[in-house]
Amino acid sequence: MILIGELSLWVALLMAAWSTTVSFAGGALKRDDLVNSGVRGLYATFAMVVLASIGLWTGLLSRDFSLEYVASHISANMANVYVFTSFWSGQAGSLLFWALILSMYGTIAIATSRARNRELIPWATGTLAAILLFFIATTCFKANPFSRLDFIPIDGKGMNPQLQNPGMALHPPNLYLGYVATAIPFAFAIAALFARKLDAEWLSVVRRWALLSWFFLTIGIVLGMWWAYVELGWSGYWAWDPVENSSFLPWLTTTAFLHSIMIQEKRGMLRKWNVVLVVVSFLLAIFGTFITRSGVIESVHSFAQSPVGPWFMTFFFLATGTSIYLVGTRLKDLEAKAELESMVSREAAFLYNNLVLCGIAFAVLWGTVFPILSEWATKTKVTVGPPFFNSVNVPLGLLLLALTGIGPLIAWRKASVSNLRRQFAAPTISGIVAGVALFVAGMRDPYPLMTYALCGFVTGTIVQEFYKGIRARQSIHGESVFMGFVHLVGRNRRRYGGYIVHAGIVMLFAAFAGMAFKSEFDITLNTGQTFATRDPYGHEWRFVSQGTSYFDRPDRSVIAVGLEAFRDGKRVGVIASEKRTYHDSQGNQLFSPITEVGIRSTAKLDTYIVLAGVRGKDTAELRLTFNPLVVWVWIGGFLMMIGGLVVMWPQAERQRSQSGYAAVMRPGGEGGRESAEVMAGV
Amino acid sequence: MTSRREFMTRLAGGVALLAAGGDVLGAQEAQSPGRDATTAGADSMPGMSGQIRPVRLPAKPGAAPSMTAQERDELEHHLHCQCGTCILDVYTCRTTDFTCQISPAMHRDVMALVEGGHSAQEIIDAFVSTYGQRVLMAPSKSGFNLLAWFAPGIALILGGAAVALIVRRLGTKPTVKPTTPLTATGATRDELDRLEAAVKGHGEA
Repeated sequence: MILIGELSLWVALLMAAWSTTVSFAGGALKRDDLVNSGVRGLYATFAMVVLASIGLWTGLLSRDFSLEYVASHISANMANVYVFTSFWSGQAGSLLFWALILSMYGTIAIATSRARNRELIPWATGTLAAILLFFIATTCFKANPFSRLDFIPIDGKGMNPQLQNPGMALHPPNLYLGYVATAIPFAFAIAALFARKLDAEWLSVVRRWALLSWFFLTIGIVLGMWWAYVELGWSGYWAWDPVENSSFLPWLTTTAFLHSIMIQEKRGMLRKWNVVLVVVSFLLAIFGTFITRSGVIESVHSFAQSPVGPWFMTFFFLATGTSIYLVGTRLKDLEAKAELESMVSREAAFLYNNLVLCGIAFAVLWGTVFPILSEWATKTKVTVGPPFFNSVNVPLGLLLLALTGIGPLIAWRKASVSNLRRQFAAPTISGIVAGVALFVAGMRDPYPLMTYALCGFVTGTIVQEFYKGIRARQSIHGESVFMGFVHLVGRNRRRYGGYIVHAGIVMLFAAFAGMAFKSEFDITLNTGQTFATRDPYGHEWRFVSQGTSYFDRPDRSVIAVGLEAFRDGKRVGVIASEKRTYHDSQGNQLFSPITEVGIRSTAKLDTYIVLAGVRGKDTAELRLTFNPLVVWVWIGGFLMMIGGLVVMWPQAERQRSQSGYAAVMRPGGEGGRESAEVMAGV
Repeated sequence: MTSRREFMTRLAGGVALLAAGGDVLGAQEAQSPGRDATTAGADSMPGMSGQIRPVRLPAKPGAAPSMTAQERDELEHHLHCQCGTCILDVYTCRTTDFTCQISPAMHRDVMALVEGGHSAQEIIDAFVSTYGQRVLMAPSKSGFNLLAWFAPGIALILGGAAVALIVRRLGTKPTVKPTTPLTATGATRDELDRLEAAVKGHGEA
């Protein structure tokens, strides 16, 4: 099977090259036979990449250490689940994984939109096949997972134990699923530009895939934060690491696109801008993969300099150049079909939202690449770390949070003063109450105070929107609050799913602001000794060392320390932290020892304990951190995921209105005029 | 095909890190969050980051500690660990990555300078003169680095100007479609007429 897999990878390379060539030729010559052959070539590429992937998984699960990739990433005594996930833990495997997801996505996208988008198909297929060709070629020639050693080691090097964590098993595939999904909107945007078919057709495909990309990027980012928090031991979840930044960048631009596409759908505006956002999101995904895999920017994630760097760089500039040329030569086809009528309108709010999201994206990108720029321009290497990103992005983040609350309150086209007064009253009061209450309670730090006031404002907006909708359903249909809520969300998933996402965003911001109050202590305790302190809420804590213990597990030796914790004199339990030293089946040490963090989570506070080291036999050196509100990061992330699912859930295009209706303006009617469709309303 | 020599050389890189990480400060046993054996080689490359360089200043006459332990920890949050593989500040690194030889050494230098009565700014300046700008967690606000700080703001202003330009055009150019008074749905009269027809069952809107 391994040999079949290896051969399949080379066949996939040929198939992708064929599909690229004949698809573009078919599009240019308007020959259906070539187009059909190109599409079949794409499907065949998918089949071959699946076989190649099965081949690699077979090599991993059978522990075939003659394969360099297997010997470098797993060991004989590793749990099968992590052997399975080691497929994407190294460079060669992750490139093959990219190709696997892309070929699968491409096949689904082309198969499902072939009938409706005939004119776009050759160009979209060609673009997807060209991207695939790049990834498969890079895998074949620069990072081949089937490359063999000229000897067979007794055991492999194993996987870094910190990567043997459920969060890390799921974080990379989700990020990849998100990254790769940006290729579909990109392919259809390029196809629409090639074919000069820039009306609504390509948008319907693009929105769905952009949403999918956003959904998986959100999950991937939150899982990465969770993994960093529970595994790395520095008591934070976001360090503005270049690789973290590179996953955040396409998320920001995709989020901007998911807002601005609504303006194009409703008003036929921002057509150029939406094409640019789609293209930029894909380029940033490639940039992210490039950063992760090339080692060009110093980062904990960027393992050594790699031969794929120049290949990625070339592909990146090629894709950028092609996109700029196509957009530049089709500007006339992308003229807006309507004009902005007021600075105070929903579409203007979305425009501001896009401005801020792209401003944050630029600041993050700029901070990420500035060390390279500085070294190139002045021969001076600088570090751009959290102080830079926080001071630049916190004000922008607050502006974005404010817009999250403002946008839904303003009417489309032009808001009247009475509309504004009516809509803004309750949310504004809610924000003021939150701010004043916290000020009276003693909070003086301006950023957290502003954050919580804005969280109150946005929460007010969300609650008001749901309240009005449910009230309307109650008065029209006589439904209960619960059923009113269910039907309200069910009948307008995009709108109310979006509000659920916004609620998740509020929780995230509240949690981020909470970290401004974190406190940390270095402590040294012998068995039975006590450390007493106060948490940021003023509660008294006492930690009593239960002593250190030493024990062995099949794959590791462990030193553990337990602290019995008391809050305001009341016992809350034992928090244990471990230091683990992993070894292979021969007893040889693998990697450096790692620390297993002890965390006690509540809605208000995380008590986070790291065993730094053991002096003598039982003197434990520890770091204790009180992290307020961290759990709301995970809850907020989960809520965003739920909101994303609600928005993505398939909904019949037209439903009969039970009573009352809402108009949804869809561009693309005859002569580009917008057409109205009946949607079930409240 | 990779030879045994090449493969073993790569593994040896990892083993060397384990050996080096063992005896850093008595209590701090080896541990390496976010650090992979393959990155270890960079630590010892001449001219690269990852080298301990003493940061010394003569103690001030009659010197007393210039700050509290808490203020010192805060100061260390502004200094970048120079191990070359992590992105952490000195305080976080020395209390997290227990294989790191660099951050504890930098911490010792900070402590000595604090004991010598030097202010936070003097300590930061001493570190910059020894390690260069890269020892700071953020670029200084001077010279070429000003570009780092101001470019995002400039970009935002330019973006804002572009939006303002779009809106200004409204004042000088008639809108493409004359609009009728708006409803809550944002639809025009014509669109609502078609909608009404659809609702009444006279066909699709």
